[in-house]
Amino acid sequence: MNTIPPVRTLVLVWVSLLTWLALTTATSYLHLGLGNTLINLVIAAIKLALIAWFFMHLRHSDAAVRLAAGAAVLFLFFLAFLSFSDFLTRSVLVAPWQGADNFIGQPAQEAAH
Amino acid sequence: MSAPAPAIEEASEQFESIEQQRAAAELGMWVFLATELMFFAPLFLGYSYGRWALGASFAAASRHTDVVIGTANTAILLTSSLFMALALRAAQLGQQRATRALLLITAALGMTFLALKGLEYYDEWREHLVPWLDFRFEPRYVHGAALFYFLYFGMTGLHAVHLTIGIGIACVFALRLRWYAAKRLSRQIEIGALYWHFVDGIWVFLYPILYLVERHG
Repeated sequence: MNTIPPVRTLVLVWVSLLTWLALTTATSYLHLGLGNTLINLVIAAIKLALIAWFFMHLRHSDAAVRLAAGAAVLFLFFLAFLSFSDFLTRSVLVAPWQGADNFIGQPAQEAAH
Repeated sequence: MSAPAPAIEEASEQFESIEQQRAAAELGMWVFLATELMFFAPLFLGYSYGRWALGASFAAASRHTDVVIGTANTAILLTSSLFMALALRAAQLGQQRATRALLLITAALGMTFLALKGLEYYDEWREHLVPWLDFRFEPRYVHGAALFYFLYFGMTGLHAVHLTIGIGIACVFALRLRWYAAKRLSRQIEIGALYWHFVDGIWVFLYPILYLVERHG
């Protein structure tokens, strides 16, 4: 159970992490529109997976530990989904007393520019 | 330094074996990290909404962050995670001196990160990018940018608090290695290392959403 990883594996994971970092930084200077955001998030997820799988040795962990880690991410998405089903379906109505200084009124303000 | 006392591996009475105790501690730490994820989540949620509703402002604000320090700090933190993993490996192999040195290098990298972050905060304060402290920005984006920097300081600040705790944990382990055999401490170091890597993992997501939004613009 207590598997000690070879130095080589750990160093290779680190090299891989830095390579993904270079990629995400470099691509953010290209005009890719929505692609920039997608690339950044996918690369961040890959880096997190590498850290969890090798550095946090999830690959040698019990099923219970993997379940705990998986449940955390799953519930994060559930909560985000439920929250966004509210926030993303609201239409922003600016009350007369809400000036341009108000954050709430900002989406309409920004769109107007 | 005198040779440390031999490791006496005896499980606490509620556990049948030392391995069961180790597994329970590992599971407990992962459950704690799950709650930590929920602690950070509202900030990420708020950010996502802002990026959706105030996209142009967030992009403009993100271009004012210091991408050089941000990238260097990401590399530093990823490297610190490597050293933490190496420290745990050395502890499991019972290498007393190596464990201590590697833990101290990990802590030093964490402190370097914090020092650079402090420098960055100072620059942002001078450039009037701190909300409520004479915040100034291009007028058409000023409200969204203020929200972006509010989230920026909230997220990086909360991350810095966690990193400070991580540095403290690494230093305490380095100190305890004076009295305890590395192999015996390795189970505790394992738990501390999980925390360190988690904090690193949070930064892995903070970096692109704070520093890289429409950097090309």
